[in-house]
Amino acid sequence: MESADLGKRLECEFADRIEWTARSAKRLYVSLAPDMLYPVFDWLREHVPGFRLGTSTGIDLREGVGVFHHFPINGKAQVVTLKVIAPKPDPRVPSLAAKIPAAAWIEREMAEMLGIEFEGHPDPRPLLKAEDFPDTYPLRRGFNVPEFKESIGERLDF
Amino acid sequence: MSASTSDTTAGDRRVIQIGPFHPLLEEPVGFQLTVEGERVVDVDARMDYIHKGIERLAQERTYDMVPILLERICGICSVTHSVCFCNAAEDLLQLEVPPRANHIRTIIGELERIHSHLLWVGLAGHFIGYNTVFMWAWKYREPVCDVFEMLTGHRQNSALPMVGGVRRDIPEAYFDEALRVMDRVDEQVKMLTAAVLDDPVLAARLKGIGVLTAQEVVDWGVVGPTARASGVDTDVRRDDPYASYAELDWKVITTENGDVFDKAVVRLLELTESISIVRQCLQNMPKGEINQGQQHIPRGEGVGRYEAPRGEDIHYLRSNGTNMPERLKVRAPSYTNIASFKASCIGESISDVTITLAACDPCYSCTERTAVVKGVDGVETHTFQDLVRLSQHTTRALAREMGRRPDLDLG
Repeated sequence: MESADLGKRLECEFADRIEWTARSAKRLYVSLAPDMLYPVFDWLREHVPGFRLGTSTGIDLREGVGVFHHFPINGKAQVVTLKVIAPKPDPRVPSLAAKIPAAAWIEREMAEMLGIEFEGHPDPRPLLKAEDFPDTYPLRRGFNVPEFKESIGERLDF
Repeated sequence: MSASTSDTTAGDRRVIQIGPFHPLLEEPVGFQLTVEGERVVDVDARMDYIHKGIERLAQERTYDMVPILLERICGICSVTHSVCFCNAAEDLLQLEVPPRANHIRTIIGELERIHSHLLWVGLAGHFIGYNTVFMWAWKYREPVCDVFEMLTGHRQNSALPMVGGVRRDIPEAYFDEALRVMDRVDEQVKMLTAAVLDDPVLAARLKGIGVLTAQEVVDWGVVGPTARASGVDTDVRRDDPYASYAELDWKVITTENGDVFDKAVVRLLELTESISIVRQCLQNMPKGEINQGQQHIPRGEGVGRYEAPRGEDIHYLRSNGTNMPERLKVRAPSYTNIASFKASCIGESISDVTITLAACDPCYSCTERTAVVKGVDGVETHTFQDLVRLSQHTTRALAREMGRRPDLDLG
């Protein structure tokens, strides 16, 4: 199935409930309202063989905090990216980890790096940050590295 | 690191700590195996020991500097991450790379795969007590690193890839010697492969353990040789071709059983394919440009994929039109492969855990310090060497039962 086909099928199925941000032969980028994430994911998983979660990108944008799930398809050149943007200051999005175990780690990572709450995550512990890391989010735009170093100053001087 | 699981006191459950350090491997990671008797009932991983903040650092580097930074992500996959980033930027730009640059990227990528797979074969041999395999595989690996150095100037970090091509040419004066080394390594690998496939002890020891089913592979997003050993036919080099792979003659290796034995077979057979790819590239090196100069990266986004020795590497790049990335997401193959330990280790015996953990060739390090926590009233400390010894002991017992020498018969 070529990219155009999968794009068309998504259009037929979801029409104006999804929004295309970009499309090329190998890459599809789709913007979704948070409540459309599960229906689109379920449809793709059911209808596209080899559909798997590659990874997800958390990104701090002007309009909110973005969670972009990238889905490569085994045996195909395509990568489908589903984009969900949650408004600040308390971004909340539905958790994919509740549906597929591959999302468990990456959602834990995004939660601690960007302060996103994944609703329904089965195991929302931190993954990468040190236990005594201050309550800030390193990949948010306001995060100032020199200020941060100063605030934890003594612990870095060894 | 303290054992934090509440299971330490439940019934006859024990928590075995593996990690975070071991000199055999290059990176720290902590595993907590919960065992009942000898069966593993749960496994948890801690990955936070050397978080380097590379994604954040990449936002503060220019597009020309980022590939150099990304070479430092992994001690083995240096070509992987820098070429993967270039793939992402070239996807954003819709840019074609000159054929000679594509061939150079293919050669260094496959040399990396050969030395990485040989490193794994050696480590896997050590974990099950076949120390001859360990010594021989690492001996065979050395000339491959030498070829890498002859062609690029360094055994690991070539600093060659850049957006739109490669930075420097590789010297054709060394091609003949490189081809001679490939011939020699080819013979050695074939001999090693035949010895592993024919060895009844290895078959008895490794077949049927650490099994990942095809469904588990898709659910956990497992990639690379670990997925191909379970019959999942996926390889970025063929599916989403980059560099010169589309014009070369090679095949994707898959097997059906998903156990540790099949994962070893996939890697050994891939070695032969990689050697053939390097040969084809060296023999048919096109002339011409090696890059298209510095590129201005406009606003936009791109996804780059690359088949690393351990599986699909994936980078997401978002540009805002400045000379630095707005966001770069890096996902190395071990990130998903290690997470799948929950599927492959649970139900195994602890003497099979070291080789099951090693079977996906994780970029991780085990430890010298393994603590067996006995309830709340006493802590008994063992070393990771005990687990390795346990694993080697199982192999020796099997070999004795079968009347074989306790090491691989390479004669």
